[in-house]
Amino acid sequence: MKFINKAVLSIALAGSFLLGSCESALQVDPRQSIDANGALTTPDAVDAALNSVYARLRPTSNYGRNLLAMADALADVGQTTSNSGRLIGENNNQPNVHFPAATWQNSYFAINEANLIIDGLGDVQGASEAQLARWEGESKFLRALYYFDLVKVYSYMPTAIYQPGIIDEGGIPLVTEGIITSEAAFSRQTPRATINAVYDQIYADLEDAKRLLTSRGVQYGSGAAASALLSRVALYRGDWAKAVSESSLALDSSVGVVLSGDAYVSGWRAPVNPESMFEVRFALAEESIGVNESLQSSYTALLNLDNKNQQGGWGDFIPNATVRGFFGLSQLQIGEPASDNNNWDVTRNDDVRAQLYTTGNTVRGAGRQIECTKFMSKSGFAYGDNVPVVRKSEMHLNRAEANYHLGNEGAALAELNAFKGLRGVEEVDLAGEALLEEILLERFKEFAFEGHRFFDLKRYGRPIVKTTPNVRVEFDDFRILPPIPQREVDGNSNLNQNRGY
Amino acid sequence: MRKVLLLGLMLFLVSAVAFAQSRVITGTVTSTEDGMGVPGATVLVKGTTIGTATDIDGKYSISVPAGSNVLVFTFVGLTTQEVTIGSRTTIDVVMESDLTALSEVIVTGYGTQPKREVTGAVSSVKGEAIQNLPLQSFDRALQGRAAGVQVRSSNGLPGGAVNIRIRGVGSINAGNEPLFIVDGVQLNNQSNAAFTQSNPLAFLNPNDIESMEILKDAASAAIYGSQAANGVVIITTKKGKQGKARFEFNAFAGETQPMKYLDVLGGSEWYNMRKEAYINSNQTIPEARTLSNMGILPSNWQSLSAEELDAIGQGLQTYDWQREVMGPGRLQNYELSVSGGDDKTTFFLSGSYNYQESSFQPVDFERGTVRVSLQHQANSKLNIETNVNLSTFQQNIPFAVSGSFLGSPAFSASAILPHNAIYNEDGTFNTAIGGVLGQNVVLVNEYNSGLQRTNTVVGNIIGNYKILDNLTFRSLFGIDYRLLQGDSYRDPRTPDGAGVRGRSSQQQDWRTRFITTQTLNWNKSYNGVHNLSALLGFEFLSETREGIDGAGIGFPTFQFRTIQSAATPESLSGFWTGYRRVGFFGSVNYDYKKKYLATVTARYDGSSRFGENNRYGLFPSIRVGWSLVEEEFLKSSSVVSELKLRASYGLTGNDQIGNFAARGLYGGAGNYSGNAGIRPSSLANLNLGWETNNTLNFGLDYGFFGNRITGSLDVFDRRTKDLLLDQPILWTNGFSDIANNVGELQNRGIELEISTVNIDRGGFRWNSSFNFSVIDNQVISLYDGLEFLPANPGIAVGQPVGRFGEGAVFTQEYAGVNPANGRPMWYDINRNITYLPLAADRIYSGSSLSTHFGGLNNTFTYKGFELTAFFVYEYGARIFDGQYSFLRENGTRLTLNALREVNERSWREPGQVTDIPRNLTTNGGNFPRNASRNTGSANLLKADFIRLSQLTVGYTFNPTLVSKIGLSRARIYVQGLNLWTYTDYPGYDPEFTGAGTGQIPLTKNYTVGVQIGF
Repeated sequence: MKFINKAVLSIALAGSFLLGSCESALQVDPRQSIDANGALTTPDAVDAALNSVYARLRPTSNYGRNLLAMADALADVGQTTSNSGRLIGENNNQPNVHFPAATWQNSYFAINEANLIIDGLGDVQGASEAQLARWEGESKFLRALYYFDLVKVYSYMPTAIYQPGIIDEGGIPLVTEGIITSEAAFSRQTPRATINAVYDQIYADLEDAKRLLTSRGVQYGSGAAASALLSRVALYRGDWAKAVSESSLALDSSVGVVLSGDAYVSGWRAPVNPESMFEVRFALAEESIGVNESLQSSYTALLNLDNKNQQGGWGDFIPNATVRGFFGLSQLQIGEPASDNNNWDVTRNDDVRAQLYTTGNTVRGAGRQIECTKFMSKSGFAYGDNVPVVRKSEMHLNRAEANYHLGNEGAALAELNAFKGLRGVEEVDLAGEALLEEILLERFKEFAFEGHRFFDLKRYGRPIVKTTPNVRVEFDDFRILPPIPQREVDGNSNLNQNRGY
Repeated sequence: MRKVLLLGLMLFLVSAVAFAQSRVITGTVTSTEDGMGVPGATVLVKGTTIGTATDIDGKYSISVPAGSNVLVFTFVGLTTQEVTIGSRTTIDVVMESDLTALSEVIVTGYGTQPKREVTGAVSSVKGEAIQNLPLQSFDRALQGRAAGVQVRSSNGLPGGAVNIRIRGVGSINAGNEPLFIVDGVQLNNQSNAAFTQSNPLAFLNPNDIESMEILKDAASAAIYGSQAANGVVIITTKKGKQGKARFEFNAFAGETQPMKYLDVLGGSEWYNMRKEAYINSNQTIPEARTLSNMGILPSNWQSLSAEELDAIGQGLQTYDWQREVMGPGRLQNYELSVSGGDDKTTFFLSGSYNYQESSFQPVDFERGTVRVSLQHQANSKLNIETNVNLSTFQQNIPFAVSGSFLGSPAFSASAILPHNAIYNEDGTFNTAIGGVLGQNVVLVNEYNSGLQRTNTVVGNIIGNYKILDNLTFRSLFGIDYRLLQGDSYRDPRTPDGAGVRGRSSQQQDWRTRFITTQTLNWNKSYNGVHNLSALLGFEFLSETREGIDGAGIGFPTFQFRTIQSAATPESLSGFWTGYRRVGFFGSVNYDYKKKYLATVTARYDGSSRFGENNRYGLFPSIRVGWSLVEEEFLKSSSVVSELKLRASYGLTGNDQIGNFAARGLYGGAGNYSGNAGIRPSSLANLNLGWETNNTLNFGLDYGFFGNRITGSLDVFDRRTKDLLLDQPILWTNGFSDIANNVGELQNRGIELEISTVNIDRGGFRWNSSFNFSVIDNQVISLYDGLEFLPANPGIAVGQPVGRFGEGAVFTQEYAGVNPANGRPMWYDINRNITYLPLAADRIYSGSSLSTHFGGLNNTFTYKGFELTAFFVYEYGARIFDGQYSFLRENGTRLTLNALREVNERSWREPGQVTDIPRNLTTNGGNFPRNASRNTGSANLLKADFIRLSQLTVGYTFNPTLVSKIGLSRARIYVQGLNLWTYTDYPGYDPEFTGAGTGQIPLTKNYTVGVQIGF
């Protein structure tokens, strides 16, 4: 019993000991995060922070799907299959079915992270000049890319602004200072900048990127990639001379190659498309968008091209009659029995791009449709594909189009025909409006399922017209623009919602 | 518990025995309840302090002085009896159960109190009331048992989550879960199971519970400080009783059954519905298009006539997918307990096995528990005690807990197109499934596998040391340890596993909670009229949680199902988190002649979760009571047997936020190109503190006609101030939100409990107990004068929040279908009709929190027979049910099956007044320039119901009869749960929480059981 009494005594003592040390008892620090204060003061931390800005290009909301598949679904490129029910509303241009809030959110989060890196460069201990230049250049390249993606989605293009009798909604909120304190996060209410101001900012960032960067791989921003992007930005802005000069700079660079013939097709079968001047890298299996929303799954029911009977993704969004017509695609049985999906392919014309389409499968009732195969798990794991943001071929089309607007029809036609040669298509002899139409048509063919068409229609103020489904969205229709996330409008008295929402 | 307490009282009384010249009376005290001896009953000679206590077998012997002729027999829970001795020397007494609980001792914060003296709002649920219910966790069993306590199952997963809300919803973003305490150990009841829901409270066999006390008002709960804002549920487990070892064997077995199958269209019905939609949309070849939708268009269709195609559609068969994947399940429960002990040591040991299947195979729950409770009186001053609960349970997992997953049987069974055969003619699975749900869920269900396991230890060691006669030191050390393990295998033969050639996902999650409580108890009575007691305490709690999880893909064949066979590691992750709390607390109790009662408590709590500048908070409370029955003018009343007025006011806190919510952090995320990334994950808030509940409570406890009618009435006003609100940050500023103390929420309510003995005549007794609660919940204020939360306009001043603090229903009001053309219409903000409602047209339409709820229990007993009928009811919740919403689309947007009643109501001819639009196929099934049919409140449902929650018929054999075969007790019963529900709900069941899509609904349970004591 004495022993037990002692035990109780020691318990009491232990209790009082705890009493005495409770201040320190409340100190618990996280083990998988670091304090935001001074987080970016070492080179390794800045490298890691920059990786995160790149990584934000990867989700479904951005290059993982929406900037390609959703944009094309909104345009006149394809039709939906209802295999998983995805992209139907977009393809029907249903009111309120458009780029989702996540695209806005993720892009602005990335911009804030880039801003924080740029703001903090002066505090990095032990950084070399080269590192500082790279960090600043890549951060600005990425910031420009995110702003460009936001402004092309949420605002009208400088070349076609719809505003008869209504207020100009303007561009998008332009923020260039990072926020890491709650005070600043509470108080900053940024209005929409003018469209021009946004493009000016993109120009400035890309010019800095051009100045500061060399290339360390096409998955990272480079000077050449900045020129290439700038060429498209200038084209969208109607700044034709700039578009010409930047296209030329990009074409002259050593980053990326313009492929032709079969090499062009096999470029799409390589993990890194040699045409890429900048692409979003999907390096690990866990980065795969997966069976439901990846680009591959959105475009094709095939798992791979080796065996069409294997069950793959959904094949929700497939070429429409227009695109099938471009390449002479129709279903073709090439063997027996017909029930084997490997015994089916498509007819094709001489256009090498026709090789990028084939028949899908009947697994899960997909009904064997003609599908686009630009994304086929090339990274080596299911539904993992690096996503080209700018391919070098685009430079020719940008320059041709810009030259046309500059009145250099001869140069435009020559460049167009040279490009057609690369794709195995016959030359044309056109002038005036017809030439422009042909350049835009070539752009349509080249970038089908790469998310260009919606914006190309938008910058020319043209309606979206499709027969399957039967939709005609005039340029004056509010459905051309998506709603700005309502929470942002509700929480920011300076922010105007887009018309119709 | 109460008997244990009585033992102490008994010892006290024994010492008070006076010795005098007298005669000796002996006898046995038994109870009518089980015919067994009542150990520890008090026998007093009336008018004296002479008394004794019965022994283990209920026997007593007492010396009665000359001149005394009446003995008084008392025992808690039994009716006090006075017996005139006369000339007898042997007096056997049969004591009846007390009609009511008012004489009981109940557990309050860090102590106990006679119910008569309780001045707060405390509800008590006895273990007997929930005994042998085929429910996996005791929280579920609280439904309808106590006023002010709203309980809703999240779904029908056995061992799944249960949503408990005590006095409404007090928080928007911090937790709304009450604090659960088992034997002094504060539990963490957060579920972290990755592959199903594993209710942490399911570790405890509900039959091991002696009683549950629910501290509802802030004043009662304030002794638990920053943990107590949502109320406190104190669970006391069964303890050993002095006496020879008593064994109890308890078993029941039975069946679970789906409460409902949805009435969906058959094969040709769906064909006709869809064909009609194509015709309505002016589409050519509607027959061919419909067959194509269904995946059964013949390849030579162009050579077939419309009539021939139509004949195919009309000849379609119907396959009942619901009845293929849903159906009866088994349930069984076995347990054996033994309790006993001598005057120094008592023990209680129990072991149990519980198994239950849901209505969806193979989803189930299987649990084994072992419980040990020991008490030892080491010497006159020291008492030591330990309670250890060991438990393991495992659950076969569903495809998903919720969601519109194509492979999920719970989602797809009712929505898959009904013409699809489940099996081919040769008995293999049909994999050519037409329609958007292109997976054979029966195959998927058969091939996938997964298990979630929860191992729990909850235990304590307690020392009680009597420093002085009226001063006791109590020291408690407890742990709450939990290991969660899970694996889920997506078979490569299933669509979701095919692309990756099989995926195995794994989870390991450890949670360790350590708690110690040191208390001093003191009491003193002055002149027998001023009674004073005090409590002083210190508490420390530390919790850490750690886990790893990962997934591998690329399996050689489907037979390889464990992760080491995977070719490619797909993901690997882990985490560590933790927090600590310290608390100092004290309380003082005073009463004057048990007539005027007052309690003051205070607690000073610190939590590592809060901002550096604001870690400590003070939580005071005061309770006062006036026991009117103790007043002279009522003492002799034959009508009023109990009457007490109560008032209380207190402050409690809520710290249910993330462990590092106050910190500004960069976390690891955003790897790119094979290199690690970091990004800002949260904004710092150095001033972040607890949210405070201030509750004002007025109550009345009453008893009439010898407590044949008893009950209580409470009104309260609960205000939650400094809400821990995730204040939205503009996304343009780089963050979503920041935890901040802003805003105020109010819950006002009335709670009524009434228990009556309606008939007690000739051995027939009819008892009723009824409770009723009204809750009025609303947001009082937000911040910056905002009328609604920018990111979540459902959170608005003057509007209620939902069950999870998620905001009121804020959407456009549906105006039905235009009778002229079948287009769906809504009201705009000016109450004009519109086809295209805007964000500005949204209005508030209630929330998911029921405003009225309660329960009604009726028990009839007659000569060993008993019948219990227990009803629960809820009213006032407005919810969306994702499953119903999909089916309400009537197959127009996606090729899903449809509800028959919806299809029948769809608009077909001008002038028809209905709420279901005309069937169309274009524009995703919607009219051009028209919002889609499920926009706004079109699919908003009322979740009201009255349910016969429990119906039990039992028979207890005559004790003298069963004693002949060596038994002390034998009872058999049949029981049914959820046998009948009164509701007009169109989905599976109105009782669920969450989106409702693909969730497993609750089941009916039938059991037959036996209880044997020996």
